[in-house]
Amino acid sequence: MIVTFPHMGEMYIPIKVLLDTSDIDYIIPPYRKKESLEAGVMHSPEFACLPFKTILGDFIYGVENGANFILFGGGCGQCRLGYFGDLQSEILRSLNYRINFVCVDLSNLSIKEVLKKIQPLTKGKNKLKIVKGIIYAIKTVYMIDNLSKLSRYTRCRETNKGDTDRIISNLHENIQNEKCYRAIKLLIKSARKKIKKIPLDKARRPIKISIVGEMYVAAHPYINFEIEKKLGNMGVEVYNNLCISNWITEHLIKKMLPFKLKNKPIEAGKEFIRTDDIGGHGMHTIGWSALSGKRNIDGVIHIFPFTCLPEVIAQCTFSEIQKKYSIPIMSLIIDEMTGEAGYITRLEAFVDMLEQKKLIKYTPS
Amino acid sequence: MITIGLPRGLYYFKHYVLWEEFFRNLGCDIVVSDETNKHILDMGVKYCSNETCLPVKVFHGHVMSLKDKVDYIFIPRYISVDKNEYTCPNFCGLPDMTALNLKNQVKILDINVHIDMFPYLILKSLKELGKVLNLEYSYVVNALKEAYLVFTKKQESSNNFEPFNSIKDKTKISLSILGHPYMIYDSYLSMKLIEKLNKRNISIYTPDNIDNITKRINAYPFQGKIFWDIGFELLGSAFTFTSNEVVDGIIYLTPFACGVDAFILEFIQRRFKSSDSLPILKLTVDEHTGEAGFDTRVEAFLDMVG
Repeated sequence: MIVTFPHMGEMYIPIKVLLDTSDIDYIIPPYRKKESLEAGVMHSPEFACLPFKTILGDFIYGVENGANFILFGGGCGQCRLGYFGDLQSEILRSLNYRINFVCVDLSNLSIKEVLKKIQPLTKGKNKLKIVKGIIYAIKTVYMIDNLSKLSRYTRCRETNKGDTDRIISNLHENIQNEKCYRAIKLLIKSARKKIKKIPLDKARRPIKISIVGEMYVAAHPYINFEIEKKLGNMGVEVYNNLCISNWITEHLIKKMLPFKLKNKPIEAGKEFIRTDDIGGHGMHTIGWSALSGKRNIDGVIHIFPFTCLPEVIAQCTFSEIQKKYSIPIMSLIIDEMTGEAGYITRLEAFVDMLEQKKLIKYTPS
Repeated sequence: MITIGLPRGLYYFKHYVLWEEFFRNLGCDIVVSDETNKHILDMGVKYCSNETCLPVKVFHGHVMSLKDKVDYIFIPRYISVDKNEYTCPNFCGLPDMTALNLKNQVKILDINVHIDMFPYLILKSLKELGKVLNLEYSYVVNALKEAYLVFTKKQESSNNFEPFNSIKDKTKISLSILGHPYMIYDSYLSMKLIEKLNKRNISIYTPDNIDNITKRINAYPFQGKIFWDIGFELLGSAFTFTSNEVVDGIIYLTPFACGVDAFILEFIQRRFKSSDSLPILKLTVDEHTGEAGFDTRVEAFLDMVG
């Protein structure tokens, strides 16, 4: 059994750790390859969202290069993510690929069910190693996300432009060749140390922008044209709560607790939409935009793929949020046709506008 | 007396009997907005955020047209309509979305329908509704119960109206029109498709001609799983129609950028391709669609079919 999996930001590192530790063979699709995206677009329905198309493209690449097992997380509810797995396996089957497509229901995850479903993978493998792999993978997720959090802080303050980016891209290059958890952990730690040593301009007060919207697009730099890097190099401090570690904390760890914790963004979002769930991350988008307004953040960038159902509803509330918390919100809609130049222009214009606004606010009259 | 406005869009086409009966039982006056026309569409496009689909925009137009005529406008919040059957996210946020897009110019009554997980939510929102209208709680609940009885009776009779297991009339072409009820029954959005086909002496079948259980059984690959309610209807009808030899072709009417249809249609098309079944025509409609081009495509399809 050879496994393949789709990319989502830096998720490939923890998955690599998991599969290496538990001795499972795998194929990683190339991180930025136009051909695999094009293959995905070709075989997807026209109005499917971009995540669907990129994921399908990655699967097709993996299957063509020898993978025969796909493990994918679905769910239920109104967001179409729940039905990605079913449709993708249908498409791959009609393209005459012979694969084992396993879909795990993420919304009510039970360990028993998951173990049963991945049986063909784990047969004859050391169980202890798999458990170890899962723990290592989760640890790696948190390490990676903490590193990118740190890099968001330094990127906008560094005195020599490009220091942070250089360290991060070095790290990614080195990780490709490593095979065991310990080496990857050391690499991440040393990168962290290096980033901490970058000379910073501590007196600088950068403008702050928070990114809200659909998680896959917000977390996958290849699709969002490295929005964090671009904004950071324009001298903007980026806040992005849409990362895997937050998802794990919210959906796995908090669910296991015997008591229920209030979900802050959802509570904040209820001010505008009086229900718990409009599918996907819709409520989070509304909530985080409102919270950003309360927390002295200068602007919000709302990023989502074309035809994303929940985000369109979230977008309807923005005129109200902008008025109430006087925070500018810009919506960026991304699909496979989005051009990078026009995208940069919009980012620059938005940042310019925020800088002007801040200047007026802090200039004594 | 209180007047309640019912916009002729989205939920109305499927559940109008239920809600009209409910408000009549409560002793309210009912005003239903006019059939969709150019003015309503223009108003909808003007007020609604531009990423939503055409039926939602039209719905906004209907609400706007009722604005000055009524005290309250009724917009239910459908989250799930049956066990395992969820709605499109647009329906979950519909009351709030309309209120925000119309800048709170209208007063909205809503009822939360979430049968799959929290059926008691209906009672809770009935209580709130009773408070707003100044009516007693038990009275409101009874009104809904009675309305529901009338609704189910009506639905049963409409299923038997033209039973699907009829024998094919060989001299006549028969087509099936699939799509959301608010697309195929709204004569403006569907460009009078049903009327046009009837004029050509073509018999028409819609998802309403098949009973609910048959549709659920044939809804490959989602039998018994969680899916959209409209998905069950359309997948089930498409696969029921192919298994019988009564229908010659399928016309699938979809609004531009409908996320739900994108997935359902792909399932249908992939299956149809592999098993050499009925011809299918997909017609995408948005506010810029011209009627002439629409007609040409339908005519070409009819030529091919028969």
